[in-house]
Amino acid sequence: MKATIFDIQRNSFVDGPGIRTTVFFKGCNLKCAWCHNPESQNTKSELMVYSNKCIQCGKCTEKCPYNLKNCDLCGKCALFCLQEARMICGKNYTVDEVVSEVLKDKAYYEGSGGGVTLSGGECMLQIDFATELLKECKKNNIHTAIDTAGNVPFEYFMRVLPYTDLFLYDIKCFDKSLHKKYTGVSNELILGNLKRLLSLKSNIWIRIPIIPSVNDNAGELLKIKDFIYKNGEVEKIELLPYHKIGEHKYEALGMELHSFDLLSKERLLELQNIFNI
Amino acid sequence: MTERIEKLCELTLSGKMFVNPIKTKFDVNDSSLSKIDMETKRLCEYILNQEPMLTPYSSMTGMFNFDGSVVGDAFQRSGHAGTAEALKKYYLNKIENLSTMEWQHATADYERVLDIGISGIINEIDKSLKCHSLPEEIEFLTGIKMVACTLIQWAEKCSKAALELSKKVYDDNYKQNLLKLSSALLNVPKNPPSSFYEAVLCIYVCFSANPDSVGTLDRYLSPFYFKDIKNGVLTHDEAKEYLQELYLMLQATTHIDSPHFTRGGQSHFCIGGYLSNGENAFNELSELIVEALIDLPTYIPQITLRWTKSTPRSVLRFMMDSERRDPHKRIAFTNDEKRIKCYTEICKIPYERAVKYTTVGCNEPAFLGAIAGSNSKGNLLRSIETLFHKHGDEICNFDGFDELYNFYEKILFLDLQKILDYDDQYNLLRAKDINYISSLFMCDCVENAKSVTQGGGNTAIASPMLIGIVNVIDSLTVVKELVYDKKLFSMSDLVSALKSNWVGYDDLRTLILKKCSFFGNDADVSNEVGNRLYNSFYNYLYGKRNIFGYQWLIGDLAGYNEHYKWFGEDTKATPDGRYDGDLMKFGLGQNEGKDKEGLTALLNSVCKLDKTGIGCGSTVTNISIDKKMVEDNEQFEKLVDVFETYFKNGGVHFQLTYVSKEDLINAQKCPNDYKRIRVRVSGFSDYFVNLNDHIQNDIIKRTDYKN
Ligand code: SF4
Ligand code: SF4
Repeated sequence: MKATIFDIQRNSFVDGPGIRTTVFFKGCNLKCAWCHNPESQNTKSELMVYSNKCIQCGKCTEKCPYNLKNCDLCGKCALFCLQEARMICGKNYTVDEVVSEVLKDKAYYEGSGGGVTLSGGECMLQIDFATELLKECKKNNIHTAIDTAGNVPFEYFMRVLPYTDLFLYDIKCFDKSLHKKYTGVSNELILGNLKRLLSLKSNIWIRIPIIPSVNDNAGELLKIKDFIYKNGEVEKIELLPYHKIGEHKYEALGMELHSFDLLSKERLLELQNIFNI
Repeated sequence: MTERIEKLCELTLSGKMFVNPIKTKFDVNDSSLSKIDMETKRLCEYILNQEPMLTPYSSMTGMFNFDGSVVGDAFQRSGHAGTAEALKKYYLNKIENLSTMEWQHATADYERVLDIGISGIINEIDKSLKCHSLPEEIEFLTGIKMVACTLIQWAEKCSKAALELSKKVYDDNYKQNLLKLSSALLNVPKNPPSSFYEAVLCIYVCFSANPDSVGTLDRYLSPFYFKDIKNGVLTHDEAKEYLQELYLMLQATTHIDSPHFTRGGQSHFCIGGYLSNGENAFNELSELIVEALIDLPTYIPQITLRWTKSTPRSVLRFMMDSERRDPHKRIAFTNDEKRIKCYTEICKIPYERAVKYTTVGCNEPAFLGAIAGSNSKGNLLRSIETLFHKHGDEICNFDGFDELYNFYEKILFLDLQKILDYDDQYNLLRAKDINYISSLFMCDCVENAKSVTQGGGNTAIASPMLIGIVNVIDSLTVVKELVYDKKLFSMSDLVSALKSNWVGYDDLRTLILKKCSFFGNDADVSNEVGNRLYNSFYNYLYGKRNIFGYQWLIGDLAGYNEHYKWFGEDTKATPDGRYDGDLMKFGLGQNEGKDKEGLTALLNSVCKLDKTGIGCGSTVTNISIDKKMVEDNEQFEKLVDVFETYFKNGGVHFQLTYVSKEDLINAQKCPNDYKRIRVRVSGFSDYFVNLNDHIQNDIIKRTDYKN
């Protein structure tokens, strides 16, 4: 069994407690307008071309068996581009391969209360692999977390539940039509799943991306807050301010970019106050 | 900071506290004396002719400097003719592009002088005189006894000067300080101090005898501190002030015009670590020692925390937090577990002495009352150059990596032996000198009736610093992984590429840079190659000792000079992608951005390198971290966890630089706007804009870890 993964990032300080290794799965069933990992959306591997880095040396054309047309992702152009202007995104891994990578930092997880985080994309779309991977990590006594947008059948949650110590559960918008407008899907399934997960008393951190002009208002956030507290308890709520770090990747993938304003520090503090964080 | 310390600070940072040497007219009717007798006689005349540095704000004095007219201390080496000859020949001069001479750091045995006073040392000299009979031994002991007596007289001279000054000072507090100083100088350093204040003053006065490291300050000051605190005769704030006055003297030892004035590598000392009873030395006073330093806007001294398994996380956190608050980057970290094991098991140093090590200068280990036994730098990468550029044809016929490595190992050993031989040669030249004043404060010199420059101390290690270790590991990894394991290209392609300095082999070089699992990525292949190299070091060096009988270890730091540039200039292209003449790497930290897997991967690679401990010599791991990471408290806590784990895993050392790459690039463009950025270089820290282009570029290339 293999999964398409676009990055295994060691030494992550931000995807859950402690020091973590984050496994980024490829493929997502949401299309958030602000997505900072657009390369995670497509399930398949793809070629990214950063024209801003290209110095027109011609090496890629020289190395490509097909003159840069009808690409079969052989990777030769990327290998020989010294400017790192071409890159193959996505690679197939077996569970063992991922586990051996994850185990390398075990001492650091133990020292910090960290572990592994499955992220993406939507890692739960590759549910069989994700379940196996979590199972193996638990066998090795590694703390496990799943970073999910929640838009999958609840049955998937039930499958990973025995092997998952923490869910990093994203809520983008509370308003249905707003959610649909900016992510391409309604949030009914997402909220429904969260409600059921809360009722099971799972460990949950809620993560809310704060996007100016979309959900950076008290109205939206208060509704999210009410929803959470009505249905159970969460360990933590994190507000993730919108950033532009992923913007250059849109061009490299030939995707259309939606840009938003940045959130001021003061505004972030005000919004954090809503949740008393 | 108190007003008094502020005033002293101003004077120090404007260079006014530097003690100018006073030219001395010697009694010239001494030509009939033996060399030793004449040298010690003049040394004593010189000392007594110096003028104490005193200001109305002083509560300490006693520092003096040498001017070359007499045989001065062993660290600055002024008046040492043999050393001068060696320096002329070998310092800043690469021999065979393989070796060059470097400075030797040392620390006096302050524990002993606090314990028995100089009068106690004089008693020891008298005892030793009874045990030795060779004329040169007797002369040496008689000479240092005279110097010891002179230091007591010097303190008396200082005492008088303080008294005189007190008469002219009207502020009552300041007057009282000077009176207290005057009376204390009649007791110390002659006798054991009776208070914490006198203990600090004793170190202050004796420092001129070996103006380098103050060693293991917290442990030898602790008895005085806790006694006075318990008896209610000392407050926390008073203790802090005394320490600050001591630090200011350490800063003032370097002349303001010296480029070293703003470099933190001088007067480096340690706190914490194992005591001889196995307990941890870090205590309330250790904390105060750090707090006192952080308050001062100076550059010198630098403090290293000796971490042990029993060091609470809160202590590591306190030190890392002090480090992040310190704009002058004066704090570093080292691991006792690995070092003590090495010093006892490999170097056979008794545990009670091994626990008294301190890191000095740019992180060279020395023991309290001992010198760093080696004084050379070696070009390790030359062995790889020889392998590919001289034996290119032979190695193309090899069957696999093992055969290649065995062949390489022979070349490595030949170069290592030469490096050791040169080191001995430098020491032999130094041994022509007899040092009288530092030797007085060094362990065993009195008992052995022998100068520290001649190997009079029993406890030392000899650790030449090898430049280019990471280049060697990377070069061999390229061969193992890409030539033999993955067969991406042949050995003859690689040899031809190197012989032509990569001209016409751009693709091959690109392939190497992109595909090789270089050191620092925690990849099995480079970890194994590194491990094999360290095992070779171990097999070659274990049990081998230098001319004075000190066990050889290896180190990897660069020191104050740019050896990695000079050696690199004459080293041809190497498989790790270096062109002819490119810089080489020093230390075991980041590697021109070749480490792409993040901080934990780099630290794992460093830890896995040296299972044997042979690399516990003069060793440094510099890590640059994006400053945003330490500004965020939650991330900072995780950083503490990372480094605690790193030490638990066997890392030897680390020191941090917090910057953003953007800032550094901008600083190169507009130095005036970025004058305040301080960074770590090798073992010292300095303002980024003060560094030359090569070092600046090197620092920018180091990956800065961020999330
Ligand atoms: S190899 Fe890279 S830099 Fe050269 S033309 Fe192709 S994309 Fe541009
Ligand atoms: S990945 Fe291969 S096929 Fe695709 S453009 Fe590059 S060289 Fe051509």
